[in-house]
Amino acid sequence: MTSFFRLLWSRLRSFVGKGRLDRELDVELATHLELLTDEARKRGLSEADARREALLKLGRPESIRDQHPHARRLRLADLLVQDSKYAFRMLRKSPAFTAVVTLTLALGIGANTALFSLVDNLLLRSLPVRDPGQLVQVSVIPIFPGGFKKGVNAFDGTVFEAVRAPDRPFADAVGFMRLDRPTVAVDGETELSRNVEQISANFFSGLGVAPVIGRTPEPSDNAIAVVSARWWRARFDGRQDVLGRTVTVNGQPYSIIGVAPSGFYGFLVEDGADIWIVSPEAPELRMIARLKPGVTAVQAQGAMHAYFRQYLVDRFRGQFPPDQPVETELLPAGQGLSQLRGQYRGALLALMALVTIVLFTTCTNVGNLLMLRNAARRRELTVRAALGAGRSRLILQYLVEGSLLAVLGCVIGLAFAAWGVSVILSMLPLPAIPESLAFHVDARILGFAAGVSILSALLFGLAPAWRATDVDLAGSLRSSQGATSPKRARRMGRVLVACQVGLSVLLLVGAGLFVQTLRNLSQLDIGFNTDRLLQVSIDTRFAGYGRRNQGGDADSQNREGEVAGVLRLLRERVGAVSGVQSVTATRNWLMRGENSRMAVRIPGFDPGRDAMWSGVTVGPDFFETMGIQAVRGRTLTAADVTHRGRYVINEAFVRRYFPNDDPLVRAPGIVGIVRDVRVFGPRSEIAPLMYEPLQVEPDRVSALQVRTAGDPDTMASAIGEAVRSVNPKLFVGILTMREEIDRGIARERMVAAISAFFSLLGLLLASIGIFGVASYAVAQRTKELAIRRALGAGRWSVIRESLRETSVVFVLGLAAGTIAAVILVRLTASVIAELLFGLTATDAVNIAGAVIVMVAVAMAACLLPAHRATRIDPLAGMREE
Amino acid sequence: MWNLYRSTRMPDRSKLDLLQGTLDLMVLRTLATLGSLHGYGIARRIEQVSGDHVILNQGTIYISLVRLEERGWIRSKWGVSENNRRARFYSITKAGEKQLAAETENWERVAAMMGRVLADPGAES
Repeated sequence: MTSFFRLLWSRLRSFVGKGRLDRELDVELATHLELLTDEARKRGLSEADARREALLKLGRPESIRDQHPHARRLRLADLLVQDSKYAFRMLRKSPAFTAVVTLTLALGIGANTALFSLVDNLLLRSLPVRDPGQLVQVSVIPIFPGGFKKGVNAFDGTVFEAVRAPDRPFADAVGFMRLDRPTVAVDGETELSRNVEQISANFFSGLGVAPVIGRTPEPSDNAIAVVSARWWRARFDGRQDVLGRTVTVNGQPYSIIGVAPSGFYGFLVEDGADIWIVSPEAPELRMIARLKPGVTAVQAQGAMHAYFRQYLVDRFRGQFPPDQPVETELLPAGQGLSQLRGQYRGALLALMALVTIVLFTTCTNVGNLLMLRNAARRRELTVRAALGAGRSRLILQYLVEGSLLAVLGCVIGLAFAAWGVSVILSMLPLPAIPESLAFHVDARILGFAAGVSILSALLFGLAPAWRATDVDLAGSLRSSQGATSPKRARRMGRVLVACQVGLSVLLLVGAGLFVQTLRNLSQLDIGFNTDRLLQVSIDTRFAGYGRRNQGGDADSQNREGEVAGVLRLLRERVGAVSGVQSVTATRNWLMRGENSRMAVRIPGFDPGRDAMWSGVTVGPDFFETMGIQAVRGRTLTAADVTHRGRYVINEAFVRRYFPNDDPLVRAPGIVGIVRDVRVFGPRSEIAPLMYEPLQVEPDRVSALQVRTAGDPDTMASAIGEAVRSVNPKLFVGILTMREEIDRGIARERMVAAISAFFSLLGLLLASIGIFGVASYAVAQRTKELAIRRALGAGRWSVIRESLRETSVVFVLGLAAGTIAAVILVRLTASVIAELLFGLTATDAVNIAGAVIVMVAVAMAACLLPAHRATRIDPLAGMREE
Repeated sequence: MWNLYRSTRMPDRSKLDLLQGTLDLMVLRTLATLGSLHGYGIARRIEQVSGDHVILNQGTIYISLVRLEERGWIRSKWGVSENNRRARFYSITKAGEKQLAAETENWERVAAMMGRVLADPGAES
C-alpha cells in the first residue's frame, strides 16, 4: 500500500514539476557527457573524436528523455493530441462507418436534448425574476349552487393596496393585464401581432427585473412603455435611440423608457408580451403577489380568506349570499403561467422517458458497430500490444476515438435538437412559436448535451474497448485472422443485439399506446358530418357589441339587441356568398372544450338542487347546418327564438335524468331529443347536454358555422371578407371543422408522431443488429453447413441450424423486453392514463402487437442470411478456409 | 493502472538488448557494493566489472535509476562530481537491499535452471 502511495506521490510530483524534472535530467546527462568526454580525452583522442565517442556511448539525449518515465508518462496532453490525430485519421479512412455512427449518435443525443429543452423551458425553468419561488397568482373563486365555479383573477387598485398592507402575508403585489387584440403603431406604421400588457407601475421593480437599457417605471410615471428585447432588436435594430420614442397603443401614445432583458416576456409563457404600458387609466389587473419570506401559500390562503370573501360580497352586491363558499387560490407563478404546462407535462415526461430508451438503443447500436470494426482491426491491436502498449493504453486510444465520435454526435445532435424542437412546437395548437419555448443553446442545454454525449461515449465505447483490447498475443500473431478471442467478442455482440431487441419492444409498446390513442380519437364518431363545414371565429365584444363589463349595467338590454342585429346581418352576408349552403352561430366555439354549464329549471323537471350539465347556446338553423337530426320531437325552429324556455336535449340527458319517463311529456319546455354529439371535441365525454336558443340572451357570439357546397378551403377567404364587410373588427379567424378537431388532439398527434418515429428508428437499428448476427453466424459456419448440405441435409434444416443461435439471442431479448414492458406499463399506468384514449396502458393486445411486429421484423432481417445459407455450394464451401 | 502511459515507442535496440530487470539488478548490486555513486560512476563500474561485455547505452542507466527511486529502493541527493559539475548521487535503501537479496536469489535460481536446460544435449536440434 505504501509503495502505491509513494508511486502516486512521485507521479503527482513529476506531473506538477515536469519542467523542473526535465531540467534536472538534462543536468545529469550533461555531467555524464562531460565525464565521458574527459575519459576519452585522457585516452588521447582529439577533442572532436572524444565528443563523438561520448555521445555514442550515452545515446541520443532525446531518445533517453523520451523513455524517461517522467517524460513518457506525463505528456498526457501530447498523448491525447496524438491519439486524437490518430483517431481522426481512422475515422476519415472509413467515412461511411463514421457517418452512420455519428448520425445514429446524433439522433440519440439530439432527441434527448430537444426533449430536455422543452421540459426545461416548460416545466423546470423559473422566470428571470428575483426569488421566483415567492410569487403566486391570486384568484378568488366563488362556488355557485351546483358546484359551478367562476374565478375572479383581476382586481382594482384598492385590492392591491389591501394586499400590500403590512399585516398581510404578502411583501408586495404587482399587476398586469394582457390587452385584448390591441392596435399597435410606431411612427404611424401599424405593428402586427404584438402582445401588449398593461402593468402596475411597480411591475418591474417589484419583480426585480432590471432593464437592459433605459429604466423601468416608477410610481410617478404615466403613459410610458417598456419594450421587450426581441422587439427592440427586430423593430429598432437594437439602437439606443429607442428610448424616448413613442409607441401608440389603441390610439394612445406611450413614451418608451426602457428595454426589458432578453428572456423576460412577462408571465404568460406560451404567448410572451413585447410591450408593457403604464397608463393613467386604472383598469382591473391580474395580481401576482410576493409571499413574505417564510410564509407558505397555504398560510397566506388562510390569512386572506376573510378579506376576499368580503370582497366578493361587495363586488357582486345582492347576487352573492353571505353563506356562499369561496376558495382563495394562490397558484405558484415563479415559472410563469402556462396552459400548456398542465396539458403537456405528462406528454413531455413520457416522451423524455421514450427518448432515454432511444439513447440506449443508439448507444448499443454504435457499440455493436464499433465492435465489428474493432474486430477488423485486431491485427493492428496485436502488433501494438506486442510492441509494449498496455491494455489501459489501448483502451485510452479507444476512448479517445469514442469521445471524438461523441463530440461529432453532440454537435450534429444540437442541430437535430434545434430542428426537433421547432417541429414539435409547430405541432402544438399555438398561433405562433413562443419565444420562451424555442430552442436556445445556453449553458444548461450545452451541459445536458455534453453530459448525454459523455454518458453515451462511455456506454458505447468502454465495453467494445475492453473486449477489443483483450489481446491474446501469441495466438493471434500466429494466426492470419488476428487477435482477440472471437468467441468472447461475439458473445458481447450478441448481448448488445439482445438489448436492442428488448429496447425496441419497449419503444414499440409505448408507440403502440400513443398511436392507437390517436387512431381512436381521429376515428371517433363526432356525431355529425364534418365535411365541408367551416367555423369562423368572431369577436362581438371586441367589435363593440353587447355588454363589456362583468358587473353589467343599465343599458345592457340595448346592447344585447345590437348583438342580435349584427348576427342577423352576418348570417345574411355570409349566406349570400356563393357556395354557402347554410349558416348558424354559437355563443361559444365548438370543438374547443367545454365552456358553458347550465342549471335551467324547466316546469316538470326537477333534477335536484346541485345538478349541472353542459350547455350549448345555438343560433337559428344550427341543427340543419350541423346535420343533427331529432331522434324524437323536433329541433329548435326560428319560432323558438322568441320563446324563452324551449330546449333540446341529447340522449345522454334522457338516460341520466329521465330514465323511466318521456321528457317530451313530462317537461313541455323540452321540444326534442337529438343523438349524442361531441360538440366540445373528440376528447370530451358523452354527457348530458342541453341546447338553448341563442336569441334568448345573446350577450355575445363567438363563432359562425358555415356548411358549403364545394371545397371549404377555397371559400374561406370569401367568407372572411363577408364577415369583415359587416365590421372589420369582428373577424378573428377561420378553420375547417376538421382542423378544429385536429387542434383538439394536437397533443396526441405530437406524442404519437414522435413515439412512432423513434420506435421505427429502434426497429431499424434492432433489425440491423439481428441481420449482423445472423449473417455472421452463416459466414462463420459456411464449411459446416456445406458438409451438411453435402450429406443431404434439406434446406429447412440448414436454415434452422444456421439461425439457431440468432433465434436464441432474439428470443432472450424479446422475453426481457416484454417482461420489462409489462412491468413498466404497470408502474406508469396511472401517470400515462391521461395521455391515452380508448385503451389502457396495460392493454394486452398492444403488448402482443409489439411482440408480433418485433418477430416479423426479426424474420425479415434473417431472410437474406437464411437465403445465403441455403445457397452454399457444398464443394466451394468445404474448400473455403 | 500506471501502465496507461507506457511508451508506444520501441526502446533503442542498436546495442545489446538488456532486459529491464537485469539492468535494475546490476544497478542495485553496484550501489550496494560502492555506496553513493552518480550515473556515470554506475555505468563505468558495470562496464568494468563485466569486463566490457555489457555494452550499454549509458543513458538508459537514468531510466533504471528513476524506476528504482520511484519504488523506494534507492535514494538520491545532489552533489558535485569529480569534474566539478552538478550531479545526482544515488545510494541504496534498506528496502533496496532486501529487494537485491530477493532478486539475486531469484536470478541464481533462474540462471541455474537455464544452465541445466541449455546443457541438456537433447535440447539441441
